[in-house]
Amino acid sequence: MIEYYIRLKRKVLPLWRDRWVWKMAWRDARHNRSRLFLLVASLITGIAAVVAIGSLNHSLQEALDQNAKELLGADIVINSNKPLPVEVTSRLDTLKVPTAADAEMASMVMFMNTKQSRLVKLTALRGDFPFYGQMVTLPPNAYEQVRNGRYAILDETLATQFEVSSDDSLKIGNKMFKVAGVVTKMPGGGGLTSTLAPSVYISLSELDSTGLVQFGSRISYSLFVKTADEKQTEKVVEKIKPMTKKFRYSYETVERRKEGLGRSFRSVYQFFTLLAFVALVLGCIGVASSVHIYAREKREDVAVLRCVGSTGWQAFNIYFIQVFFLGLFGSVAGAGLGAAIQKIIPVVFKNFIPVDLPFSISWTSVLEGLLLGAIVSVLFTVVPLAAVRFVPPLTVLRTESKQVSRRSRLKLIVIILIVLFPVLAATWQTNSLMKGLVFSLGLAAALGLLALVAWALLRLVRRFFPAHAGFIFRHALSNLYRPNNQTQVLMVTIGLGGFIIATMNTVQHSLLGQVEFRGNTNQSNTILFDIQPSQKAGVISLMKDYQLPLNQTVPIVTCRIRELKGRKVEAMMSDTTNRIPDWALGREYRVTYRDSLHISESMLKGEMQHFVKGSKDSVWVTISEGMQETLRVDVGDSLVFDIQGIPLRTKISGIRKVDWPKDPPNFIFVFPSGVLEQAPQIWVTATRVGEGGSASRFQQELVMKFPNVSLVDLRLILSTVESLFAKISVVVRFLALFSIITGLVVLAGAVVNSKFLRIKENVLLRTLGARTRQITQITLIEYAYLGLFAALTGILLSIGASWTLCRFFFEIDLSVAWLALLIVGSAVTLMTMLIGWYNSREVISTPPLQVLRKEG
Amino acid sequence: MAETVLNVENLTKEYASGDRTLTVLDHVTFEIQAGSRQAIIGPSGSGKTTLLGLCAGLDVPSSGTVTLMGFKLNAMNEDDRAYLRNQYTGFVFQNFQLLPTLTAIENVMVPLELRGDKNVQTRARELLGRVGLGDRLHHFPSQLSGGEQQRVAIARAFITAPRILFADEPTGNLDEENAGQVVELLLDLNQQEKTTLVLVTHNLELAKRTDRILRMKGGRVVEEMLMPVS
Ligand SMILES: Nc1ncnc2c1ncn2[C@@H]1O[C@H](COP(=O)(O)OP(=O)(O)OP(=O)(O)O)[C@@H](O)[C@H]1O
Ligand SMILES: [Mg+2]
Repeated sequence: MIEYYIRLKRKVLPLWRDRWVWKMAWRDARHNRSRLFLLVASLITGIAAVVAIGSLNHSLQEALDQNAKELLGADIVINSNKPLPVEVTSRLDTLKVPTAADAEMASMVMFMNTKQSRLVKLTALRGDFPFYGQMVTLPPNAYEQVRNGRYAILDETLATQFEVSSDDSLKIGNKMFKVAGVVTKMPGGGGLTSTLAPSVYISLSELDSTGLVQFGSRISYSLFVKTADEKQTEKVVEKIKPMTKKFRYSYETVERRKEGLGRSFRSVYQFFTLLAFVALVLGCIGVASSVHIYAREKREDVAVLRCVGSTGWQAFNIYFIQVFFLGLFGSVAGAGLGAAIQKIIPVVFKNFIPVDLPFSISWTSVLEGLLLGAIVSVLFTVVPLAAVRFVPPLTVLRTESKQVSRRSRLKLIVIILIVLFPVLAATWQTNSLMKGLVFSLGLAAALGLLALVAWALLRLVRRFFPAHAGFIFRHALSNLYRPNNQTQVLMVTIGLGGFIIATMNTVQHSLLGQVEFRGNTNQSNTILFDIQPSQKAGVISLMKDYQLPLNQTVPIVTCRIRELKGRKVEAMMSDTTNRIPDWALGREYRVTYRDSLHISESMLKGEMQHFVKGSKDSVWVTISEGMQETLRVDVGDSLVFDIQGIPLRTKISGIRKVDWPKDPPNFIFVFPSGVLEQAPQIWVTATRVGEGGSASRFQQELVMKFPNVSLVDLRLILSTVESLFAKISVVVRFLALFSIITGLVVLAGAVVNSKFLRIKENVLLRTLGARTRQITQITLIEYAYLGLFAALTGILLSIGASWTLCRFFFEIDLSVAWLALLIVGSAVTLMTMLIGWYNSREVISTPPLQVLRKEG
Repeated sequence: MAETVLNVENLTKEYASGDRTLTVLDHVTFEIQAGSRQAIIGPSGSGKTTLLGLCAGLDVPSSGTVTLMGFKLNAMNEDDRAYLRNQYTGFVFQNFQLLPTLTAIENVMVPLELRGDKNVQTRARELLGRVGLGDRLHHFPSQLSGGEQQRVAIARAFITAPRILFADEPTGNLDEENAGQVVELLLDLNQQEKTTLVLVTHNLELAKRTDRILRMKGGRVVEEMLMPVS
């Protein structure tokens, strides 16, 4: 017996030169392109979402750059809550720069056509404001009229709401103003501003005549300056900067406004980007899971190829080429779709954007999308396809030959990259490693929890499903548990979108529930502000006339902090190492005095001390919990207040926990009685007004008799908060929709993937005597279960997540929006049924014989 | 003296089932000469398929050696064995094993294309003609009957002019008429192409038309019969 060994001379071609591999990839793909397409279709929506949001960001930045001056309306704006002193204005006069001014305050306005009244933002204007951009009015000359007489113009929303037309008049303070028109566009005023505080505009020269400017009224004054160029801007800044501390005003330049806006948009934008990113990650999961099934299905083919001499790599490459190019195709489609969605985006985001967005496709974002798509098509296909390399050729002889599970280096590297992918991509999108990490961990936790809930749900249903249920129901259920059905993956991918929407609804509901005024408790729902001491008796007797309960009558004294723990606040504000925010140090505090706790308060630490007459010691005051943390003070610390120019030495005697929304008004600082009685003050009363005619008659009479008193209807605030939420939720829903669609595409892919298995099952059922109707029913019920379970998974987890958010982040009670959850649940279930059934039509209608042939 | 294309020595295959080992092949030894025809017969479970798989290098033995065309299979890795199969062997299976996404002619061309050969169409067309499928070149497997599919598989097996052809119950899934056609084809091509034939079969009639019959039982070759030249 001769025994010899010859070395084989096998040449290994690199992938790009191995023509056979490319040929096989093409041949194998050509006949089920639609099916292969579903492998990567779930990428499309993800990429589309990322590209759309990216494009939005680019055009937003561009628009901000181009319209920065319009946002401010001037080159420099000086803000103050007192009219600017001559020292400042005279300095500006020497520079001979054009100026304009406005004064803003909250005031009641009565619409004379209907005699209804409402608290609005009253803006009194002088000069050519805005210097940049345009105030668009209807009719166009309306502002001209305002400048030259007792005319008013008002925001369109307000005019619509109170059905005001051009011949009507408004009662503002003591005076009547004729309506000159409506404002349709104001530079810098976005949709949100006018929702929160709709404006009425009058001339600044008419403001005094209204009698609204009284002691205690909060008015913010702005002076708008137009400069010739950057140099002049710098000059102006030089002049006004040194006196900011002394006269307590601040100024803003175009550059600063741009930075500020850019910053706030960035964080909003990052939040939206991450939402879009969720859709992409879902798409990746979809791709990986369907490629996994695909690879498993190709096992026998691979074995045959290996049998006739292909290497493991060649077999792998055939399928890799397919999915990679399909992935690229999916990315291109996604980027195209994302660019197209740009058209809708300004509609969805209009409330967040203060400038007109030009429709422009950002090629950077499109490229980013393509790059992301290419990365994803490699990362998320290599792992499931890696198994192809190790299919034992023996499979041709014995189908169920055991696969030796081999750890390949490639697979390990790719798995590490997959773990890093969301971290890196999210970091790249948000420019912050921390955010990237938090987002990735959060997403991983959400997916993990969803998977856990899905798993538990599946087990529970299996365990407790009624055994005596009809055949169709039992059979449809057992279909969910067929091997390789990916039921759990589907529940997670479909459930995630539902989870986002459900969480948003529940949190929204809980927050609104906080502001809502519950049933028959006697809580105040109306607050009367700015009552001068001389008006106090009159207002109270008016309330009595209308049989309104006088829940609170509270004095308010305005003051500032002069020293904190022995340090001057000016010094602290210019000290960069100081960690107390400037706004807290420099702001105006509205304090009250009393000797007992209000029903919304409880003592956390220390106690309320009474003032001992004649004592030379400090006055003991209490502070609210939140502000105590912000100001970094504790019981025993000293504070010097500046009360209308007079210093008052105090010490913190206690810390109150305040339930702010409960029975307002509530206060940060409460002084003891006996100290502030002589200080200039105004009064506030709180009451509960019923619905209907008597309420509006009261309001009318109040505005007539006491025009400077502001009435705040807390129910109005509620509806304002509600509409604010409505606007945010449009965007969140819009982006969550991408996730849901991705989930449904993954579903479609999975349905098509399991087609052959399901055809076989159905043929078996038919052979056993099932009719088409029954098979259709089984299919529909199966997907109804799937949809229901997915929705339940998302909703269950959303309740948990909402509870966590409410408890620890918003610190409010959870209140579940059952109706909204029901709607989300039914919508998800119905869509799942529809998609499942649509993709199963062929399965349902295939006649048995054809299947036997295919088996051949 | 004829060249030895396949040498099997002390071939043993064991499977661990639970805590005891199952010996499926037990020290099998034989040699096959170029151009000859062999039949392996035996009761179900006697180890025929296992033996064939080992001979073709589709699996690795527990002990013993297989030498194919002078190459010792044990010493090679999976990809090298695949290359060897492509160079020297052909396969025909009981369940045909055509690639469902490829047409008949594409299925036939695969082994040659794998080698990087060009202009393989002509040879594939010619072979399909010889197996009687000249007008079904562009049909997919699902559009062909079982017998037709097996004839495509035979064309694929012969396109590389293999030195040795392994067939595991090639007629097992066919009716008598189709089975007859397939057998004639296999034997004819064996004659014309001087291919060594290793046939696993339950069909005694077919076995009797070979040069030598190896009868297996319980993992051993229990009988070796030389047939008179027909
Ligand atoms: N992976 C495995 N693990 C355990 N036992 C196995 C395995 N593969 C095969 N066997 C056993 O090896 C024995 C021989 O199997 P083999 O398929 O070679 O028989 P065969 O002679 O081809 O039978 P048939 O004529 O039915 O095809 C059988 O008893 C089978 O159960
Ligand atoms: Mg067998």
